[in-house]
Amino acid sequence: MAEPLVARSALRPHVAPHASAAGAHGVTLREVENLTLASVAALRGREAELVQAVRAAYGLDLPTGPARVASGKVAFVGAGPGKWLAVSSAPTEFSTLPAAVADQSDGRTVLRVSGPKARETLATLIQLDLHPRTFGPGDAAMTHAASIAVHLWQVDDAPTYEIATFRTFAATLWRWIVEAGQARGLDARAED
Amino acid sequence: MRIPCPYCGVRGLDEFAYLGDATLIRPDPAAPGAEAAFHDYVYLRDNPAGLHRELWQHASGCQSWLVVTRDTRTHAIGRVEVARDVAAARGSGAE
Repeated sequence: MAEPLVARSALRPHVAPHASAAGAHGVTLREVENLTLASVAALRGREAELVQAVRAAYGLDLPTGPARVASGKVAFVGAGPGKWLAVSSAPTEFSTLPAAVADQSDGRTVLRVSGPKARETLATLIQLDLHPRTFGPGDAAMTHAASIAVHLWQVDDAPTYEIATFRTFAATLWRWIVEAGQARGLDARAED
Repeated sequence: MRIPCPYCGVRGLDEFAYLGDATLIRPDPAAPGAEAAFHDYVYLRDNPAGLHRELWQHASGCQSWLVVTRDTRTHAIGRVEVARDVAAARGSGAE
């Protein structure tokens, strides 16, 4: 029997060192580990079938724009016209969906940035307006942070953001966020 | 310059990659006079002062190819259409 391959974190301590400011923490940086990730692209002419299948399997209505819908452990995040990033915190078989599905679990790293200074910290890296007036829980966007392609979405009003990036860029992005959070009471800890 | 992407919303120029004239149509290589037609297609460009329809890709965003109408004198962005819709509407084989 084939041994299942389990993705290791891209953030070893020597590339993503712990950083914790003294006093109250304004922003917390963590890796979101053990996610199942998959890119899902609708097949031409079978879009409705995919919408039905996702609704039947996960009880979710696929967003048509840059938004995130979640139910239980599964979420779908808009990734372009007819494209989504499927995210699950439990082992999930997305490849049964009637779409072009490619596993990304070992291809992307997801970072979680939260706390009262999270928005301010990200604002130093991202040109998008993350003000609650224009970007709130359930909103998603693809852009770049310090020239690194990122796919981010807001989870809650803490505010908590999750940022998916290609795993080879994860450590660099980590250090950029640490740098940005330095003066804002950052607590960054990659599990090791 | 900011371009309103139909999927992502208004984004800065840094997220987009420019390709060029969106009105060009690849000539039929089997048609007579194909060589001259290809010369025009590959090398000869208009340089209008005013509205220009051009292809942009939202490379750092949703990756969509867009047909953007831009005023070359002011950089004012007019219409932004999804290139696949434009190709489908004119019935060319880009899709």
